[in-house]
Amino acid sequence: MLTSLLEELPRFLGYYNVVFLLKAAGITLALSAVGCSLGLAIGFFIAMVRVTRGNLLFPVRAVCVSYVEFFRRIPFLVTLMVVFFVFQALGWNVTVFTVALTSVCLIAASYTAEIVRSGLESVNVKQWEAAETMNLNLIQTLRWVILPQAWKVILPPAFSFFILFIKDTALASQIGVVELTYAGKILNNKGFSAMLVFGSVLLLYFIISYPLARFGAWMEKRLVLSKTGKR
Amino acid sequence: MQIAFLAFCGGMAIGLFGAMGKTFGGKFTKGAVSAYVSFFTNTPQLVQIYFLFFALPEIGILLSSYEAVLLGMTLNAGAYLTEIQRAGFVSVHRSELEAAETMGMSLFQSVWYVIMPHVVKVLFPPLSNLYIIMTLGTSMAAIFGLEELTGRAFNVNAVTFRSIEIFSLTAGLYFLVTVVASLILTLLGRWLFRVKAKVF
Repeated sequence: MLTSLLEELPRFLGYYNVVFLLKAAGITLALSAVGCSLGLAIGFFIAMVRVTRGNLLFPVRAVCVSYVEFFRRIPFLVTLMVVFFVFQALGWNVTVFTVALTSVCLIAASYTAEIVRSGLESVNVKQWEAAETMNLNLIQTLRWVILPQAWKVILPPAFSFFILFIKDTALASQIGVVELTYAGKILNNKGFSAMLVFGSVLLLYFIISYPLARFGAWMEKRLVLSKTGKR
Repeated sequence: MQIAFLAFCGGMAIGLFGAMGKTFGGKFTKGAVSAYVSFFTNTPQLVQIYFLFFALPEIGILLSSYEAVLLGMTLNAGAYLTEIQRAGFVSVHRSELEAAETMGMSLFQSVWYVIMPHVVKVLFPPLSNLYIIMTLGTSMAAIFGLEELTGRAFNVNAVTFRSIEIFSLTAGLYFLVTVVASLILTLLGRWLFRVKAKVF
């Protein structure tokens, strides 16, 4: 068993395969990075709408709340399928990468909206009231008063969500995006040992996400320290 | 749903031992548990199940798709639950443990009678969150040909080709199930542990 694996190893680590796997890892990273940044932007906008008051914006708020609640409660795989078939029904000719990216954006927006909202709510109410007294409008309040205090609360969970999503993009292999998992499947179909292929795919995911996770933990520690003033 | 429940229970058991090992164990146990946790939390569940399903037969361990999914999800949940429960263990005051030791309690007794009553209250919200996430995670089982909600949707889709309707309905059903589940969990938390949480 082990000897046959060892015999296969040099063939598996040929130039073409390594480049293929690394490219796939790049696509995994791109998918999650781009999706999460776009998602964060949309999520931020949703969170901003949710802190507004007044009856005029009530329908918009309702839409935002139901959007967030809905997309946090359906699996990524089902979202992928729905987006895939909706694009198909609309007759748009888009690549599967776009489909995956759209779904990542949709999901990421709803999760980050919650993260940002909890961050905004963590700022003391008095600060909001003070800003109102100073006659700042919503944008100004957020820009000059709330965000400088809230980003420390928002950033660590947003970052760990991003890491979580690197792993969830594995599901995009189901619609045929050539990312890390799909690359593993292709190599497996070419006759390489599943042990070897999926083992190295696991290892690559680990290599991508472990340093990021450590960095996130370090950042969180730093930020908590700087917030409580105990340096 | 059944998979999520079983995997959650299995994961709870693993997580409990893992957390005990990581808080009270010696150097070796601590290292082993951290390695397990960091490996399983840093790799995708899907690929883990792929590994169990396709790679293990090569060394003669044949798992059915149901077993592979269940095992994969249990191991993965175990890793996350270890972390969550460890956070709870750490929050218990040092002197409580020393008091338990003075009473002549064994490690298991002190965990069960002293630490647990304290931490269930703190742990309940993250645990119920994880349970919801795992319910969503069971959709992965469809890829391995299991007939759960998403799997059934795939099959019906293959027969009827009414893709949008079917997958929208699936999404709606998941929404319904998780809303009901989190409602029950929140109410349960309120009655049992007096967790002050909003229902939504």
